[in-house]
Amino acid sequence: MIKETMTREQRLLAAVTHGKVDRIPVSSMFDDFALRQKGLPRQFGGDAEYTARVLQAYHEVYDDLGGYDFQWHAGPGFSYSSWHGCMDMVVNSVPGKEGAVMPEREVLTQEDYDKIINLGWNGFCREFYTRVSGLSIGQIDEMQKKQFSIMQEDRKWWEERGVPILIGGMTMNCEMILSLGRTLTELTLDIYRQPDKIRAVIEAMVGDCIANTLRNARATGIPWANILLARGSSTFYNIPTFERFVFPSIKKMVEAFVKAGLFVNMHLDTNWILNLPYFKEFPKNKCMVELDSTTDILKAKEILSGHVCIKGDVPATMLSLGKPEDVSAYCRKLIDVIGVGGGFILSTGCTCPVDAKYENVKAMVETAKNYYPH
Amino acid sequence: MDSTLLALALVDLNESEVLKLVKEKIDSGADPATIIKELQDGISIFGERYKSGNYFIGDLILSGELFNQSMKLLEPLLVNNRKVQGDLTKMVLGTVKGDIHNLGKDILAVLLKASGFEVYDLGINIEPGAFVSKLTETGASILGLSGLITPSFESMKETVAAVEAAGLRKKVKIIIGGGVVDDLVREYTGADAFSTDAMEGIKLCKRLAREVRHD
Repeated sequence: MIKETMTREQRLLAAVTHGKVDRIPVSSMFDDFALRQKGLPRQFGGDAEYTARVLQAYHEVYDDLGGYDFQWHAGPGFSYSSWHGCMDMVVNSVPGKEGAVMPEREVLTQEDYDKIINLGWNGFCREFYTRVSGLSIGQIDEMQKKQFSIMQEDRKWWEERGVPILIGGMTMNCEMILSLGRTLTELTLDIYRQPDKIRAVIEAMVGDCIANTLRNARATGIPWANILLARGSSTFYNIPTFERFVFPSIKKMVEAFVKAGLFVNMHLDTNWILNLPYFKEFPKNKCMVELDSTTDILKAKEILSGHVCIKGDVPATMLSLGKPEDVSAYCRKLIDVIGVGGGFILSTGCTCPVDAKYENVKAMVETAKNYYPH
Repeated sequence: MDSTLLALALVDLNESEVLKLVKEKIDSGADPATIIKELQDGISIFGERYKSGNYFIGDLILSGELFNQSMKLLEPLLVNNRKVQGDLTKMVLGTVKGDIHNLGKDILAVLLKASGFEVYDLGINIEPGAFVSKLTETGASILGLSGLITPSFESMKETVAAVEAAGLRKKVKIIIGGGVVDDLVREYTGADAFSTDAMEGIKLCKRLAREVRHD
């Protein structure tokens, strides 16, 4: 075991700012994995007893793994899905391996575009959330207050152990909200057929998305804003489309969050390699990208080195089907290469898979704690 | 009329031009099989360019939409048209039990049809027995199993085992697809091939179809 000379918070901060670390920080989003480890099925919006069991599962897995360097969120996370209403999450039905998934289901219509332009995103959502959820605004507000209260209570458990929380405020990028609401296929056709309308919609949304995230970050006092980016990459769109419909709102968000004194974590699903050069426009040492193993992490390091911290990216397949020695070897390689010069956090690609083998996850955490050649 | 114009309009993702040319060809009495062949040529050229990294999933969606719209215009001419309905490779496709992701599968289904396959898309969350029933009913020689989440690996494996148990395995080639599959998953599930990319998937399905014919 490497002798630790930093607190977890210092280690996280040093990684993000490309400072010197005593060892590479390690973490992941362990939600579904933790529940499966503790034999707890995934539900959304469970009662108080279920919520308490969820939190207990997260805490126990933290202890089982011998601790890790930060927790992605306080509270039960996906169990209370009061994010954007269009994030229509369901539970997959593989027995014993239940996890959160997002179906492609059209809940936003073309007619909604004009409403968003006229009302702004928040104004539109007063109607939209009730339409999608079937709940009244009062009920939704009550649910969000309850969620906030549970999160704040759970924070104490983590803070007593010196574990920082990564989510203060969170938003999806505007085009991702539209893509989840319209479906990828419909949004893509809309971008092709009515580009000016889509740009106007995004322009009408971005200010409210920023304001909501800042409000939540201030309320929690956690100095991190998170942007979920799963649909706008070079997997899906060419660079001119990225430049017109994806990047402008990301840039506005990042600049606003940094100006407000926050660090920014961007969760990048799919292949962003052609888009990463644009991330150098963001303020240096203020941002982190979470790569899911689809983006070539070695090339990402070449592009972002010294500017944006990289988090990732043990592949899901390796964690589910591989052996601990495979995981250890992969993690050592990441630490050797991506860890040079700082700005690296070891993690799973995307979330930790629900059916990851415990010994593989343990191998990832242990490698970070025992191997640091720099 | 230059016969390559339609193919090139599709490659350029020029929606109005594609539909205009298809209508003109229909009005001039062109053979629907020839029109479909031109569209398929466009998809084929598109596929080559996709491999070069100049096209993206959004472009695949658009090309599939153009093909679908063209086929709608051609539909009235295709009833009982044996020349068109002739010797298509039959393929059963679906997202495996427990997984509800349909995006990649749906894109693949459209492009397979545009590449000359007769596709039986069973949808999402499909039990192994349903795949076996459809293979038996249609005599399809290729089975495509889709899944995006790691728990789908087990369902893919169960489905391959069910095909084996039904005595169909020697007659059916199986390809798995999804964002996180790789050769480790192919080996684990017992499939014949894997793909993470729709255009590469088309190429592999064509290869599997040739292998089935030669077996």
